[in-house]
Amino acid sequence: MNKKKTIRISLLVLAAVLVLLEAVAIIVAWPRPAAGMAPGTVQNNQKAAAKLKAETAALDKKIGALAPKALFIVIDSARNTLTLETGKEVLLQAVVSCGSGSILEEPGGKRKWIFDTPRGEFQVKSKVVDPTWVKPDWAFIEEGKEIPKKREERFEAGVLGDYALGFGDGYFIHGTLYSRLLGRSVTHGCVRVGDKDLKAIYQAASIGTKIYIY
Amino acid sequence: MRFRRSMRRSGFLALAAFCVLFSAVPARGEDQTASLENRLAKEELLLAKTPSLYFIVYLKSKMIALRSRGMTLQEWKVQSVHLWGDAPPLAALMLDKKSTLFPPKRAKIQPAAKEEEAAAFELEALELKDMPSRFTLFLSGGIQVFIRPKAGGFFPRLGNLGHLLVWNLWLPLKNLSFELKKKPFAAIDIKLEKKEDGQAMYWALPDGVKGLVFPL
Repeated sequence: MNKKKTIRISLLVLAAVLVLLEAVAIIVAWPRPAAGMAPGTVQNNQKAAAKLKAETAALDKKIGALAPKALFIVIDSARNTLTLETGKEVLLQAVVSCGSGSILEEPGGKRKWIFDTPRGEFQVKSKVVDPTWVKPDWAFIEEGKEIPKKREERFEAGVLGDYALGFGDGYFIHGTLYSRLLGRSVTHGCVRVGDKDLKAIYQAASIGTKIYIY
Repeated sequence: MRFRRSMRRSGFLALAAFCVLFSAVPARGEDQTASLENRLAKEELLLAKTPSLYFIVYLKSKMIALRSRGMTLQEWKVQSVHLWGDAPPLAALMLDKKSTLFPPKRAKIQPAAKEEEAAAFELEALELKDMPSRFTLFLSGGIQVFIRPKAGGFFPRLGNLGHLLVWNLWLPLKNLSFELKKKPFAAIDIKLEKKEDGQAMYWALPDGVKGLVFPL
């Protein structure tokens, strides 16, 4: 009986300690204000406040000036959409295909490729009509073929559509033979566009046109 | 009678002085807002000058924005925000890693052995639907951001119950241990309006991306 009582009391004491510890932890963890929100950190001065506001407006203007002035392209790689816009109006919205996110390893494990569409700010670096694909090493490895020694053996015509817009590191916005796969993430990192939309993008974009990919 | 009149006069003077003082000095809140907005603009300018994407979490406005060059590319509405510990500093924070119970797995392409195999080959895509909607962002400076969707259905509700236990019992204790070790700790709980928003956020925020947490 005494043993049972001791256990019961011990459990109660333990529970009380835990509750107390949790209460202390909650009090300590209570959200503290940001440095600028703490009282006494800001001068109560109308002139200073007005100066701050003017400085903020100037900074906002500087930030605004960084946005493209001319037409630009926005690619949502998650939803596989491409938008051609000017900032004020949307000129074109297209369903595209972006990187599959798959991994390819060279037999022997020497090299590895991750087929993601790169993200960030880019710009159109080249514009090509009737582009020929210069197949990179991974294309041969994926197909189980030997990597050719001659550059000419890498050329493959007619697979990139009528136009291609290069945006660096071998990535292109180009056409596709697989229009049924538009809207799905199936490419090796390039952005595939349907024929009609590709023509409109090619005609509207020029060298230097900004591309934002997220 | 004279006493009453003098009382009335002094009361009026006190009221007038109060009104003059009050009109001359802007509200402290207004000053703080101006100061914080100024700091946000300074920090955002530094991020916008780079070609990388960045994010801003607006705690009070309940919104998360993905930006580039000051342009908003994507916005996610937040249903509720809760915090524990230190307020995150208003400075560029880096996303060190994302953590989730079932991380999406990249498909491995098996090189084709024969040409016929290569012709029949189909890519396995990692798509938006494969992304988790419930995950934690570990930002630099010991800041953890818990992202979860509004619960609907049995399993999401069960998940939210688990999260509530972690949030209300485990995290205060963790904060206490960090406090004793004199290490910074902050936890932000963000409940999104849509499950798809969480998935899109998981997709759009790669490891290494920088961002700001704005208290307003």
